[in-house]
Amino acid sequence: MSDQPVLVVGGGPAGLEAARSVADLGEKVILVEKADVLGGNPILASYAALTPDMENAEEAMQRMIDALAGDDLVTIRTGSTVVGAEGSAPDLKVKIAGAAGEETLDVSTAIICTGFQHFDPGRETQMYGYYEYDDVITLVDAERMLKAGGFKRPSTGEDPKRVCFIQCVGSRDRQIGNQWCSKVCCGIACKEAIEIRDFLPDCKVFVFYIDMRMYGFWEDQIYWKAQEEKKVNFIRGIVTEITKRGDTVVVKGEDTTMGRPVEVPMDVVVLSVGMEPSEGTLEMAKIFDLPLESHGFIETVGGPLNTVCTAREGIFAAGAAVGPADLEDSISMAGAAAMKAVGYLRRLART
Amino acid sequence: MKQLPLKAKERVFDRKGKMPSEHYREQLFELEAKGELIVHRLTDEHKPVEIETKFGRTKRIPLQNTWHHKSCGQCGHIPGYSTTIFWLHRELGYAYCDPKEQTSCTAWNYYASSTSNPAAQAAVALRNFAQAYEDGFFPLIHCGTSYGHYKEVREQLIHHKELRDQVRRVLDKLGKPMVFPEEVVHYSEWVHVVRDQIAERQVKNFENVTVTVHPACHYHKLIAEDAIYDSELYDGQRTAVVSSVVRALGAKLADYSTWHDCCGFGFRHILVSRDFSRSFATIRKIERMKEEADPDVTLTHDTGCVTTLDKSQFAAQAHDRKIGIPVLADSQFAALAMGAHPYMVCQLHWHGVDNRPLLEKMGIDHEKAWAEFEVQAERVKSGEVEFISWEDC
Amino acid sequence: MEAIYADTKYRDVPVEEKQRLFDQVKSDMRWEETLYGCYECGICVAACPSARFYDFSPRVYAQIMAREDIHAFYELLNDSMWDCSQCFSCTRCPRQNNPGGIITIMREVAVNNGLESAKAALTAYSRIIYKIMSTGTQVAPDMLQPDFFPDWGPDVTAVSENLDIWRRMVPPETLHTTELAWDVAEKTRVELFLIWKLTGNLEMIESLDEGIFMILEEVMEELLEEHGYDIDDIDSVI
Repeated sequence: MSDQPVLVVGGGPAGLEAARSVADLGEKVILVEKADVLGGNPILASYAALTPDMENAEEAMQRMIDALAGDDLVTIRTGSTVVGAEGSAPDLKVKIAGAAGEETLDVSTAIICTGFQHFDPGRETQMYGYYEYDDVITLVDAERMLKAGGFKRPSTGEDPKRVCFIQCVGSRDRQIGNQWCSKVCCGIACKEAIEIRDFLPDCKVFVFYIDMRMYGFWEDQIYWKAQEEKKVNFIRGIVTEITKRGDTVVVKGEDTTMGRPVEVPMDVVVLSVGMEPSEGTLEMAKIFDLPLESHGFIETVGGPLNTVCTAREGIFAAGAAVGPADLEDSISMAGAAAMKAVGYLRRLART
Repeated sequence: MKQLPLKAKERVFDRKGKMPSEHYREQLFELEAKGELIVHRLTDEHKPVEIETKFGRTKRIPLQNTWHHKSCGQCGHIPGYSTTIFWLHRELGYAYCDPKEQTSCTAWNYYASSTSNPAAQAAVALRNFAQAYEDGFFPLIHCGTSYGHYKEVREQLIHHKELRDQVRRVLDKLGKPMVFPEEVVHYSEWVHVVRDQIAERQVKNFENVTVTVHPACHYHKLIAEDAIYDSELYDGQRTAVVSSVVRALGAKLADYSTWHDCCGFGFRHILVSRDFSRSFATIRKIERMKEEADPDVTLTHDTGCVTTLDKSQFAAQAHDRKIGIPVLADSQFAALAMGAHPYMVCQLHWHGVDNRPLLEKMGIDHEKAWAEFEVQAERVKSGEVEFISWEDC
Repeated sequence: MEAIYADTKYRDVPVEEKQRLFDQVKSDMRWEETLYGCYECGICVAACPSARFYDFSPRVYAQIMAREDIHAFYELLNDSMWDCSQCFSCTRCPRQNNPGGIITIMREVAVNNGLESAKAALTAYSRIIYKIMSTGTQVAPDMLQPDFFPDWGPDVTAVSENLDIWRRMVPPETLHTTELAWDVAEKTRVELFLIWKLTGNLEMIESLDEGIFMILEEVMEELLEEHGYDIDDIDSVI
């Protein structure tokens, strides 16, 4: 056992998994989280059900948080941020600022799990009117409603009859500068579509897409399920403009399979906003002097054969801080990072 | 339901975020440093005003000592448009140059027929810019297409050394320097920047005037990052020009669902395939405006747009379409607000749709004004004067 | 060679010719920033005004050019290409393609190669080409004639009947013209003519409309001579 703890920055799914794994391996760990609560985006953005198994997000995160409780090896600092770092592994000195003021800690290694932020639709190349029309919302707004137990039309508070999702908002776009695919939005949109159809059997739901990215088992677990069981309509062609006619918003796109421009009224439009590196991720990259890869996420070295080592020895990253990641990616990377961090220390101890 | 998402009005858009990595102004200065061209700079003499463009970058707009790059369609068919741009400068006390040593940008022809090539187009542009530079005035572009096209030329010149070399060879033969202005400025950007000064001199009450705005495709879609956006208008999501002037003059700004649509000018279509322009303008723009906003006037800031929207409405009557919205340029609207003569200055008799009801709503006695115009016309017919001058207006 | 389809208005050509025309488009210096890749999202079609009224799709252009389908390319080159309104709404493309720009280049190739379909598309338009190239302004007040613009309304008749007087009543001095939009200085016209010759633009017109070319050349030759230039000595420098 090393004297200094492993530092885990970020208390979302990746951070929680990393911290618990480090403790499981018998090492001390300190978890620093900016918000006042643990759980990351699933909690802070009020996710309803997790993709694809529809497990209650809050309950799932609570399980992970509970696994850390009462563990002597685990120290948690919520409402705190890392504001400085000096030295190098296995002797890092980090400055942490919290409610009680600033403290300097000696840590052995660091695992950055600061994740992503959702794309702001105001920066979208297309004209989606998120800041103009009440009935244009994002996946996050939709999750919040679903978690509260329903799905309503924001402008009237009534049940909508026609809802559509627009995929790839803020992703796959050279003009915005986010040239990646955010990996999870197709899955989340299908999941939300299923939830909406369950709440509102009379409501028609459409998904406007370029490609449906339904990796592995998502194909039939959520895509076929949405289409076959829940009768969600998938239209190949993305929307370029949302305008208003009278009380209703109208989406303008092309139905590429028919090869025709279309304009259809909708009661609610859900923008499937993508991921971007969070402010915390960019901050930590600066503080720990970690190079970013070409899209702006923290660079890991070693390609697909090494998903968690950054360019600096003894400093690791996991989850969406290194690129678009779903929950499985984040959890898997977190475990790998914990193993690599502890393994690094054990190897040092052997020499 | 407490968990309903925030209403749009409560959502706050913070426009920090990624900017396009290339900046044309920096790239122009880099080329100048390499000796490839001269950048015509904005200086204090132009009294430049800083505004924000689409991604938050700043751009400076000159107020005076500008070289007015005129528009073919305006000067040819809508003379009140050019006239009011000059009139506003004169009234606000900003010196300008109205050159004879100016050619068309030739982009109308280029987009209509492609009977040209990038080198010719760039040479025409740079000949005009060199002339302005030599004359000592900063270019101010009257037409939306000239503006968009010159932005396109700028991008092509910056990215293609081959093109720069071709154009340099052409300019050398003409004995003209290779110059590019620091900014390509559209006159509607100037009107936007002086709108408060116009409002100060407003003598007509526009409170009861409902206006729809049509933004020109070539203004804000061509090289989209270079267009004025303002967080106080449309939350910075749509271009602010023209709409800002409507607000400043106290008129009612009305929205309609086809705001983002093209007018249907088509460049070639408006001249030789007019069924398309006419159909598109009527069905997609005018009828929508009429049904959804019922405006007293629609304003735009480009030659082609004024032409298409104004001239398409007559023939549509034969098909019982809901039309009849007068079409004006923002400069004509601003001039009328300041008390400009509707016929001597705004030249409204060259327009298609009957704008007399609009004038009445603005409190302008058009019958009296037309009588005044006819008196002046007599002076010309009789040979008393050869031309009407600014003083006669 | 006879057309494949009985109802097409253009000739079919050997595949080598189609390839040659195709290669000309692709070798344009602007090509690399005109077409990147296309994932067929349809935003360009959704935004396009011509797509609503014609059988026209900017997405099809991006796809055909990317697939290098020279037969489909040749069809587009001779037909729907002229439906594009060059508004560039399609530059909303998330891949940063420019379908309108693809068409600009294709049109240049069509004109440069004297395609019959290009000539047909521009037949009624050639007097405008003459106007812009010879005077330096695109349209003139005296073009507002009821026989050319009958659908624009009675204001056209009113303007044409009062043209001379009404033009004298427009305050800016440069606008006291009827044959061109504004008074273009002679020296400037000379410079414009030099540009046409130095960029091969006049020769481009020859392949499009010989009649217009001849009149234009005559007018240009005369003015250039007055200013000490021999039109035959001016070669293209591009």
